[in-house]
Amino acid sequence: MYRYFKTIRLFWSTAFASQLEYQLNFLIELLAMLGTLLGSVFILSLFFTGGRQLGDWTWESALVIQGVYTFLDGLTNALLRPNLTEIVNYVREGTLDYVLLKPIDSQFWLSVKKFSFAGLPEIILGLSIVFWASIQTGSSFSIYSLSVFIISLFIGFIILYSVWFLIAASSIWFVKTWNATEVLRALLAAGRYPISAYPIILRFIFTLVLPVAFLTTFPAEAILGDLKLHILFFGLMLSSVFFVLSRLFWKFALRHYTSASS
Amino acid sequence: MPGFKGTLKHFFDRKTFEVHAVTDVSFKITRGEIVGFLGANGAGKTTLLKMMCGLIHPSRGLVDVCGFSPQRRQTAFLKEITLVMGQKQQLIWDLPPMDSFYVNAAVYGLADFEAKERINELADMLEIGEELTRPVRKLSLGQRMKAELLVALLHKPSVLFLDEPTLGLDVNAQARVRSFLSEYNKKTGATILLTSHYMADITALCPRVICIHKGNLFYDGDLDSLANSLSPSREVKVELKNPCSRDQFDKYGEIQDFNDRFISLLVSRDKLTEIISNLLTNFDIIDLEISDPPIDQLIGELFIKGEVN
Amino acid sequence: MRIFGLSFKVIKTLLTTQYAYMLEYRIEIALWALSGVLPFIMFSLWSQNDVGNTFGLNDIGLARYFLSAFLVRQFSVVWVVFSFEEDSLSGRLSPYLLQPLHPLLRYVAAHLAEQATRLPFALAIAITFFILNPSSFWIPSLPQVFLAYLSTHLAFSIAFLLQSLVAALCFWTEKSSALERLIFVPYLFLSGLLVPLAAFPSNVLKVAMLTPFPYLINFPAKILSGMTVDIFNGFLAQILWISILIPSVNILWKFGVKRYTAMGA
Repeated sequence: MYRYFKTIRLFWSTAFASQLEYQLNFLIELLAMLGTLLGSVFILSLFFTGGRQLGDWTWESALVIQGVYTFLDGLTNALLRPNLTEIVNYVREGTLDYVLLKPIDSQFWLSVKKFSFAGLPEIILGLSIVFWASIQTGSSFSIYSLSVFIISLFIGFIILYSVWFLIAASSIWFVKTWNATEVLRALLAAGRYPISAYPIILRFIFTLVLPVAFLTTFPAEAILGDLKLHILFFGLMLSSVFFVLSRLFWKFALRHYTSASS
Repeated sequence: MPGFKGTLKHFFDRKTFEVHAVTDVSFKITRGEIVGFLGANGAGKTTLLKMMCGLIHPSRGLVDVCGFSPQRRQTAFLKEITLVMGQKQQLIWDLPPMDSFYVNAAVYGLADFEAKERINELADMLEIGEELTRPVRKLSLGQRMKAELLVALLHKPSVLFLDEPTLGLDVNAQARVRSFLSEYNKKTGATILLTSHYMADITALCPRVICIHKGNLFYDGDLDSLANSLSPSREVKVELKNPCSRDQFDKYGEIQDFNDRFISLLVSRDKLTEIISNLLTNFDIIDLEISDPPIDQLIGELFIKGEVN
Repeated sequence: MRIFGLSFKVIKTLLTTQYAYMLEYRIEIALWALSGVLPFIMFSLWSQNDVGNTFGLNDIGLARYFLSAFLVRQFSVVWVVFSFEEDSLSGRLSPYLLQPLHPLLRYVAAHLAEQATRLPFALAIAITFFILNPSSFWIPSLPQVFLAYLSTHLAFSIAFLLQSLVAALCFWTEKSSALERLIFVPYLFLSGLLVPLAAFPSNVLKVAMLTPFPYLINFPAKILSGMTVDIFNGFLAQILWISILIPSVNILWKFGVKRYTAMGA
């Protein structure tokens, strides 16, 4: 276990060192992030013109969802995107061979090798919005609501990671999975809005098939103190299922890779 | 031009089929040996190498390396071996090799002081020093290869799999990699298995070679007897002081080329010394040159013929 | 017949080889077409929450608008900066620069071929949309189709030129594709992909109309969906943007190539 921690530390400190070479990138990411947030809040505000509500969400509580989305987007930019989009290159260039010959879990290696520090401001800003907006709704935090919030964020992240990893792992067969990832990202954008604002069919899909609801709506409900415990429980099970699925699929993909690659 | 129908057809028509890269190959390698794998492109050398380190599972048959079954890739096995591929690099491009070394050290569970000692030791052997603190992308190909070897050997593996380790290097850098490998083998008793396109690598390093052709093993033995059996004769070029007639040379060997004072003869190996001393006593010779037909040419012919005499 | 100084034969060869190449990537292109579903997600929000009424838009009009926005986007997607960056990093650019064909025209051909490959998938998605929302089905009039087709091509040209500006920065910096995000963000929110621009507050709208972005989606989509639109001014603005962008790209490109060849890369 200690070996894994030490490895992560070295992975990320080397990642930091190599990103220092591209400081302009950091600035661009920051600008793009602020622009995206501004634009999203603006579009969201259009739904509330004339004093209406979105689903049964008020303006402030819908902002909490934007905050959670921003937070997860930051994590995506920091951790998921740099690592999981790289898997394709490992396969194409054949350097996956080196990873497989390391005495360390290959899924672990591929998932945490990089860390993009340009994602950090977005993570921090996302959390700030969550707390600021939920104070605006008048809700007060308790140890309980905070811990449910953290657990539900964790659930959301694990689901997001697992789905993304499943797609990335298929690059063992299809070298260009970049576009499949784009489909996922497009669908995830639905998470900017509360799940109850969607038509019933989409609500179903976004809860059970591609569980967007677990990524943003439920964590937002958690911090607002509205999340029902059975949903949290269900989320724990669902995220475990997704995670186990991602590991099994990776094992399966590797079996294919090692039996057919040249 | 394929239209929509073509599009749909291609869409569903992605067949897969089984390819036998390697069949009926069987050999044993003892600890400390250096073995070269020879074969034309696509002969199955790389497949074989990857099978031995567990990257490709054989559909039939058995691979045993140091008592392990490679395809299970157990930690204990992985710590015993290493793989270096000349055309693929594992160092982090934007950073100095030193950073990659410490990442790998952590992955293999080496303590920092251990890693440091090991890096110094290998750097000495490889004759590389301050380059290790420069970003990889600023290193020359030769320096990069040295750093690749260093990172691959950090965990003291006892079996080295090298796939084209000198690919793309200039002659000097190739020679240095070769001398390092041979020194490393002597010092640590590590087993080295390598493939190379450069015959010089094989002739300099490998007392034993294994030839693969179309996935089949057809020679396993020492390099000299391979060369002997491939080409029983040598070429002797003679420059004479005075012009001579052609028929004077007929009895020494097959005349390849003749003009006045330059003669090129094919002489059988076992009579070589005798014939040369005869030549030297009977003629007034300015210059004499004995050459092997280049081994890669021989190997090339071998692969075309598909058999050993 | 010559277009951009190219003979018809060269154009035909370029397009057919690029089309054959794109067919190899049809699965990826199908997925890519699918990744343009954002307008549909937005539509479901608009209709479910009955937002349109506030802005004087009915559900059928909205459905047609969002579908049109989807289609316009499908045929004006641009990725030249990514191809170009890859080519310049991998050294493929050097031989391109030696050929008597402007490298950008090669990418234009690639884009057009990709659009042709994408056509069946985009249509399939549109048909699915009609099956789910049968009431929104409509057949635009011939002039509408023609004008929408024309303005979509112009929109593609603007988008292509904009991204070529960023691509030309590849000559200076290694990672110019990161800069593309700075164009994409305002594009996403100001083009009308997420909401019809009619819903914008008037002061935001005024600012938006000063940028090229509304002419990339909103204008062609409005024509296609049959909304009232100032056709003359719309086309004028599109042509104006193109006539500003072409010389800019040309100049930046020339400087870039000069720098590139001076570096001897």
